[in-house]
Amino acid sequence: MSQRALFHGLATALLLCAAAPALAGNTLIAKDQKVAVAKSLLTVSASREWNKMGARPGRNSETWTLDGDKLNDLTFYGGIADGATMFREVDKRNRPLPRFSASMLITDVPTLLENSYRIALATPLMKIDTIEPTSFAGRNGVRFTYSFAEQDQLQRKGEAYAAIVGGRLFMITFEAPVLYYFDAGIEAARAVTASARLP
Amino acid sequence: MRAFRALALLTACAASVGAGTAGGKTNLPALPPYGGAYQPQTVDERGIWMLADEDEREVRDSKFLIHDAALETYVREVLCRTVGQDRCLGVRVYIERVPAFNANMAPNGKMVVWSGLLLRVRNEAELAAVLGHEFAHFEERHSLLAYKQRRLASDVIMWASFLGNTGYLGNTRSLIQSTALGSVFQYSRAQETSADLKAFSYLAASGYRTGAFADIWARIMDEADATAAGRKRRSQRYDQVAFFSSHPTSLDRATYLRALAVQAGDQGEVDDVRFHAAMAAWLPQFLDDQLKLNDFGGTEYLLGQLAGSDWTPALLYARGELYRMRGNPRDLVAAAQFYRDALAKGAMDPAIYRNLGTTLLRNGDAAGGRQALADYLRLQPDASDKAMIATLIQ
Repeated sequence: MSQRALFHGLATALLLCAAAPALAGNTLIAKDQKVAVAKSLLTVSASREWNKMGARPGRNSETWTLDGDKLNDLTFYGGIADGATMFREVDKRNRPLPRFSASMLITDVPTLLENSYRIALATPLMKIDTIEPTSFAGRNGVRFTYSFAEQDQLQRKGEAYAAIVGGRLFMITFEAPVLYYFDAGIEAARAVTASARLP
Repeated sequence: MRAFRALALLTACAASVGAGTAGGKTNLPALPPYGGAYQPQTVDERGIWMLADEDEREVRDSKFLIHDAALETYVREVLCRTVGQDRCLGVRVYIERVPAFNANMAPNGKMVVWSGLLLRVRNEAELAAVLGHEFAHFEERHSLLAYKQRRLASDVIMWASFLGNTGYLGNTRSLIQSTALGSVFQYSRAQETSADLKAFSYLAASGYRTGAFADIWARIMDEADATAAGRKRRSQRYDQVAFFSSHPTSLDRATYLRALAVQAGDQGEVDDVRFHAAMAAWLPQFLDDQLKLNDFGGTEYLLGQLAGSDWTPALLYARGELYRMRGNPRDLVAAAQFYRDALAKGAMDPAIYRNLGTTLLRNGDAAGGRQALADYLRLQPDASDKAMIATLIQ
């Protein structure tokens, strides 16, 4: 192989490697199997099959769906670290996202999600509806519900469970359009959330 | 010879694209677009009105729309006083909940005002200036003229590309194309200036203080600078116009509007009392939307501007929220003080006690924090988060 051909081969291989995450397809999550999620020690098991999206919202998160992530979106946040955003920045220069702080109280988490959504989705139509204490992954945590509309103006509802463990934020959110999909998917989502464990 | 002719024709076209002055174009129908039941006249005008009508249907049914008859009536009254009762009949005013400084006007008479604009203007004269500017775009049919100008420019660019490929234009192709492209933005800037001047004359004729218009642009620059500083970025330059700018720089606008105001004596009413009364019910909502944008520098500047020398309880609370959300230890100390100042000035919202409580807890004052949270639960026994807050007190 000439030097030129070798160079081309290497360049192609590099390009393929770089493109691999984007090409990674969706995978099936089997039911009743314990799986680690969001590249973390958080484990869950599902009472029915789900699809795991190839694209991640951020470095420490992953999304499962039943019919497509705009219709039912179950997202896991596996230990957001001090100083990190909840998910990938949309426009770091002009619309930077707020950052999680290890000194936050658990009651600050709903506001963090609200403000991140308002900025990332460019909508003021996002509000927290209820906040109550709960046990999540065996820890004291918070359960909160919220409602929002993106630029597509479809009204969505969300339900989230979160706990701050060792200065890191662990959270599971489920959100779906109010029309049909939220009620249709919430029980399956709650089953996943109830199975969440941390070592 | 043929090459020469083609070159001469295209150069003339490119030059004429840039030479058109906004607002002064010929071949427009004599009737004004704000006249009752005016119908679009040409095929181009009918086309852009049809699109505007469709867009208006969406705005009318939008979730972002603020449904408040009193607020709409107030904004419409300011518009009518500014441009005249007969003219404003052709306008429908929509107020959208968008926390940014802007307003826009469609060629069919649909005016959209964003909540972020209402938060930023300080008095009725400033609001009148912006509404007058938008109305001027409508009155002078700027959308239609800009559409025609864009079409001409794109024709020139396409022909230059075609003739360039056949070798007729030599190396002048890219010059012609960039001149045509630049002319689109130049034309847009000329329209903005034209609308500014028209709005200024409306302001002067309606008895509002003419200097109000320049005040807005001075503050918009200061706010943008404060936002940049808060994000540790260099602020944007105002002394030169970028190739792709659709508007003159804020500095240009502030400068020529100030010069006109000085020339005209800068007198007139500002009507700040009436304005603040009309906005009072919406101020907490508009502030809340602004606070959640994660723009510490810009919001701090804005709150300072809104307060002037009088920090009201609502503004003190908002400032406490701003500092609490940033959440550095020193911010939490400052936030607690702003909440206490708000309470001392008679703020009644129980949420202040909750946020004071969590702020104190985060900063290590457990006893003070628990006391404030207990006060919150006492004042709002049916709070939706009472069980959650109760866990922080134990």
